[in-house]
Amino acid sequence: MMTLPPTGPLHLLVLTPVTVAAFGFFLPQRAYQRLLFLTNVVVAYLAVATFIEVRWGADIIELVAQWREGVAIKLVADQYSGPMVLLTGLFFLGTYVFSTRADYMDKVFLFLYMLLQSAILGLFLSGDIFNIFVLLELGMLTIAILMMYKKEKQAVYDAMLYLMMNFIAMAFFLLGIGYLYRTTGVLDLAMLEQRLALLESPRTVIVPYAMILTAVALKSALWPLFGWLPRAHGAPSAPGIVSAILSGVQVKVGVYLLVRLGGVFSPIIDAAPFFAVIGFITAVVGFMLAVAQKDIKLILAYHTVSQVGLIVFGINLGPDVAFWGGMYHVINHALFKGLLFLTAGVIIDQYGTRYYSEIRGVLRRMPIVGLAALAGVLGITGAPFFNGSISKYFIQQGLQGNLGELGLYIINLGTILSFVKYSTILFGPPTPEVKPARDPYIAAISAVFGLAILVGGIFGGPAVALIYGPEYAAAGAFGLDKVIIFVLTLALGVGVYYWIVLRIGAFLAAIREFKFNFNQVTVFLTSFFVVLLAYAYFAV
Amino acid sequence: MALLEYLDISDLAVGLFFIGLYGAMTQRNIIKTIMSVGIMDLAAVVFFMLANYQDGAGPPISGTPVDRMADPVPQALMITAIVIGVSVIAMCLATFMRVAYRYGTADWNILIRRLEK
Repeated sequence: MMTLPPTGPLHLLVLTPVTVAAFGFFLPQRAYQRLLFLTNVVVAYLAVATFIEVRWGADIIELVAQWREGVAIKLVADQYSGPMVLLTGLFFLGTYVFSTRADYMDKVFLFLYMLLQSAILGLFLSGDIFNIFVLLELGMLTIAILMMYKKEKQAVYDAMLYLMMNFIAMAFFLLGIGYLYRTTGVLDLAMLEQRLALLESPRTVIVPYAMILTAVALKSALWPLFGWLPRAHGAPSAPGIVSAILSGVQVKVGVYLLVRLGGVFSPIIDAAPFFAVIGFITAVVGFMLAVAQKDIKLILAYHTVSQVGLIVFGINLGPDVAFWGGMYHVINHALFKGLLFLTAGVIIDQYGTRYYSEIRGVLRRMPIVGLAALAGVLGITGAPFFNGSISKYFIQQGLQGNLGELGLYIINLGTILSFVKYSTILFGPPTPEVKPARDPYIAAISAVFGLAILVGGIFGGPAVALIYGPEYAAAGAFGLDKVIIFVLTLALGVGVYYWIVLRIGAFLAAIREFKFNFNQVTVFLTSFFVVLLAYAYFAV
Repeated sequence: MALLEYLDISDLAVGLFFIGLYGAMTQRNIIKTIMSVGIMDLAAVVFFMLANYQDGAGPPISGTPVDRMADPVPQALMITAIVIGVSVIAMCLATFMRVAYRYGTADWNILIRRLEK
């Protein structure tokens, strides 16, 4: 028996960032920034220790303030939340170090950043559905302010639309919680699961089920409810670090809640086929919209939609190997999309433009940033030996000989297609007037993320076993057939890009310019609710 | 009138929720949609307050016999939800003010056309 590093109580993880940020606010800028760096180190340590405790020790359950179970606010670290906490702790530390010298790191920004960290950690650890509601609202308000931080262009409009869409979803969530409380009399997730299994007629809870899962589907940006995500993640007025956190960690809250809350209802309602189909549609629509964009941050943002669709597709397929493949893709996506957004922020600062057609030669101008971005691109397209290939291989294992396998190839082709477009910024002669970046923090963190993507690929099988527990052989992912398939898909992607995508510019412009207004988005939300309700009615 | 007798106040709260949703789906005026969403939020709060309603129960504070106390959980939770709702609506209205100054309209459709490309 190895000795485990000591952990504090779980509420320390949630409360440390926000408490230190609030009480240290009177300090001058420099001291505040150093204090928050130390806080981030402490939180990252706590996250690692909690993860180790959960992985090799036992699950941690904490009832805050010693109230009895069922009444107390409950914090839970288990097989699902442990890795997410680990990811959040390390990701925030990494992004913090990355932007040490950035000009947007003023006190208000730092405070909001720490508040968001508390909200996300709290969401992963919550074992109580009302707590989840409160923290979702907190995260939503924080993100809305961060979105309009630099007050550029249509930032305020984007933030307003984001707020209103999420607020409607949260009203659904709250009414759903009310129904659940009336039916079962508890809000604790574990007790809810027990009591729901005992219900005489499961149809009494399909309304709260549909309400809560509609809200969660909006949070995880599933088709047709993803309209807010590109606005938030690709917001021109948010610094790259904010986009990295939103795409890397925050959107995973939705996926995590889909697993968690879906699990609570699993004794009576199983909507996995429904969400697998929705996930597939999300993945396809996401990459189509990504190909149509010109703004590099929007390409990445729409691509996040596509990848979330792939993750939801994987975890709802049924076989365990596909489920863990999807869960591993959550971490992989955080690494490569986080890295791509961070580097995109630097690239935009250096070139002074966000349009892919005006950016060339990043590799020559900023070699480390460029190489890191290239590693991110290889990871996300599922190139052999990079981490994306492993999670996609696991998802594919769950689909052997199934029609869905074809779907997976389509998604991957779309990913490659949008990243052929993105990677044109890396090559070619650099635009002359750009000065090279000399920031050791940016270079170091980019290199760390890039290496993590490569290591997560080469040691893919052991990494899944280390992080989540179940062991699957990933050797097949390095086979010659996979390399050939990847090269063929890449060639097809490049071909499609140069022969088709470049010739339908007017059509793509029409897609890019087309926007739904708020009323239409609400109609989508209501339709999603009605369809899910009907599905649940017949599935029970 | 059999249907009316069958309904209770919780059903009215659900009705109110869907009236709010209808408003959010149909109103083109931004302020009206913000109000509609506010109505949805408050309807959810009303519904929650009535979740464990007992006739003749007293407030859950000292002085009331324990067996006659109303369920304190919905009350404690809903005070939180109300505060959150107020702050989110305030935030929506504040962002709307900025939007209205910048684009000079309170109509979702006209607003979309006036956004910068």
